[in-house]
Amino acid sequence: MNGAILHVDMTTGTHRMIDDPELFGEFLGGTAVATELLFRHGDPKGDPLAPESPVIFAIGPFSSLFPVATKTVAMFKSPLSGELGESHAGGRMAMSLHEAGIEALVITGRAEKLSYLVIENDSAELKSASTFRGQSAAATERILREAEGKSGRKVSILRIGPAGERLSPMACATVDGSRHFGRLGLGAVLGSKNLKAIVISGTRTLPLACPKEFKAVYDILYDRVVKSKEMKKYHDLGTPANVRPLSLIRGLPTRNFSQGNFEGAEAISGERFAKDFLVQHTACAHCQCGCIHMAELREEFAPYHYSTNRVSYDYELIYAMGSMLSLSSPEDILKLLLFTEKQGWDAISLGCTLAWATESFLHGVLSLDDTGGVSLSFGDCGAYLEVLERMAKGESEFYRDLEMGCAFCAKKRGGLEWAIQYGGVEPGGYMTGENFAVTCLLGVRHSHLDDNGYSIDQNLLNAPKPLEEQVRAQVKEARWRMVLNSLVICLFARGVYDEEIILQGLDALGAKWDAGKLRELAAKALLRKHEWKRLCGFDPAALVVPEKMYTVQTSTGMIDRESLQQRIHLYLEEIRR
Amino acid sequence: MTVKYLRVVNRDQCIGCFSCMYACSRMVHNAAGSGKAALRVKAYTGVEGAFSIRVCARCEEPDCAAACPTGALTKAPGGGVRLKKELCISCMACVKACAIGALQWDEEEKRPLPCIHCGQCVKYCPNNVLALCEKEEECEPR
Ligand code: SF4
Ligand code: SF4
Ligand code: SF4
Repeated sequence: MNGAILHVDMTTGTHRMIDDPELFGEFLGGTAVATELLFRHGDPKGDPLAPESPVIFAIGPFSSLFPVATKTVAMFKSPLSGELGESHAGGRMAMSLHEAGIEALVITGRAEKLSYLVIENDSAELKSASTFRGQSAAATERILREAEGKSGRKVSILRIGPAGERLSPMACATVDGSRHFGRLGLGAVLGSKNLKAIVISGTRTLPLACPKEFKAVYDILYDRVVKSKEMKKYHDLGTPANVRPLSLIRGLPTRNFSQGNFEGAEAISGERFAKDFLVQHTACAHCQCGCIHMAELREEFAPYHYSTNRVSYDYELIYAMGSMLSLSSPEDILKLLLFTEKQGWDAISLGCTLAWATESFLHGVLSLDDTGGVSLSFGDCGAYLEVLERMAKGESEFYRDLEMGCAFCAKKRGGLEWAIQYGGVEPGGYMTGENFAVTCLLGVRHSHLDDNGYSIDQNLLNAPKPLEEQVRAQVKEARWRMVLNSLVICLFARGVYDEEIILQGLDALGAKWDAGKLRELAAKALLRKHEWKRLCGFDPAALVVPEKMYTVQTSTGMIDRESLQQRIHLYLEEIRR
Repeated sequence: MTVKYLRVVNRDQCIGCFSCMYACSRMVHNAAGSGKAALRVKAYTGVEGAFSIRVCARCEEPDCAAACPTGALTKAPGGGVRLKKELCISCMACVKACAIGALQWDEEEKRPLPCIHCGQCVKYCPNNVLALCEKEEECEPR
């Protein structure tokens, strides 16, 4: 690794390539490197949507080399939370960056008019995107694959939909077929730079330094990916396999976290989707597992006339657009997802915000005047589709507010008790108990993937454990994920990549790492993120759990204020240990 | 010696993982990445999940070799083509002549990447999309 960093200045349209092998030597790659670059280029006190606010993408030493090292890390200041913005996406982007010889990409500035960026090896060119302003995320990909397709070469396309152009803090950025930098508003940050899309391709391969060793490590990993149970579950039913079991243990958030068992769970289960809607699995580049589940949505738009669309689905999407809104028809969920996908919203934030609006309407906090006559109720898909359409048109202040997320809406209009968000970020779909609440509060990106809080909760149902032990296990996992996210491996392959094979892999690439250095990196990266968060104003002492969460039954019972405080205290102590 | 053909036998089971292309680059060319692959998996925009896999057909009368102006690319015994690197002038006539788009171009070395029908890609396809066959009739493409 030379540590090649491409800087693009959108304001001047210029770029330069800088080699920083020391940075990558010390911080490995991916999330740890991107955090350092955020310190270097970002202002924690700055406006996330200001031109100077950087967007950083980074891959790691395993990217495009070993199986399932498929993700790219994006780092920015989040317009949703106002602090650390971090999101990961698969698709072909890591492969293309690697082939272009770029390990990190730093974008600053703002183009005069809507533009797209074409990166080919070490060259970068800004082009006008005026002709496809306002186009959906899907259409933008179709347009650019034709305009920028290179015959015989694989090209990765990252783009925003209209939501990103409108600077919605819940706008995502979509990569290739249905992969997303979903969370924390990267779409708005790109929109603020007038950057509609990035097209990446390259021609580089890496001669193997130690071919024998490399192939041996590769084969072990390949066998684990293709043959192990660990990844099979992601391929077969995929994450929606969780819908039924989570509902059975009261862990599937239903009707805005009112309860954890959903009477419609069977109807929207992974089994149901697979049986009646699944038409194809696809994969990120260099992942032999292929967890991407594509459903087919066939709709009659006029008598005997049908439209057919393919929509990807997974557990989080079924939760956000299904049980959260009390929708028990897969067709309804797919219709909402299709609209969401075209606009380029983050489905989790959107689903939670729709649920907040529904509960607010039912409590009289919102009136028909606010909603422009739309009567909201759980289970009413027609009303939700109407809401999405009005949001897309920015029809009134209320609909423009909705795409700001539920924390913003609740602060302005009320219903804060049932606005389910932690630090401004709507949570993933788990109602498992206190460990998950801690994940949402203290996870560096408030993401369910920051640690294993929800699975610690679930395991408590079989084997109780002292609280201290739970917190320690959670922090240990949060740290370990710093290593995986620096390499950058898809977290679905976390069972495949243990410390031993990682060290063997690094060895085979001629990188000098040992177990001690890896663990040091993990601890340091986690602390550096917390440091950045605090500089932004994140205050663990001021953490708030939505009031409603203290009044509902989770998988492991009621959430207790005192024990939650104790956990927070222990967690913050533990990450410093 | 029986002649082996690389064939696409289950196109519709392909998930587009590119594992086959990585395998060819790694095992045949000792390169990490997918850029040295002698086959190509193509995705179609807008039709999510539809992939087309282009592999060397081991032609009886290879159009690619016929198009080569210097004799660098020639028919190998039993079919398929071989490259004499020192004769290649990087004109790309061969790649353009392969109508099915199977013959790939090495963008770093600027020369074609003829398939040697070794079957490494078959070994690393998790979904039985590819097969190495002795006679075409034994594994008709589906
Ligand atoms: S498991 Fe899924 S998300 Fe992860 S790399 Fe494979 S296809 Fe992509
Ligand atoms: S048969 Fe061998 S040379 Fe041909 S594409 Fe497969 S791995 Fe490459
Ligand atoms: S390895 Fe198999 S499934 Fe993967 S892209 Fe190649 S042919 Fe398709």
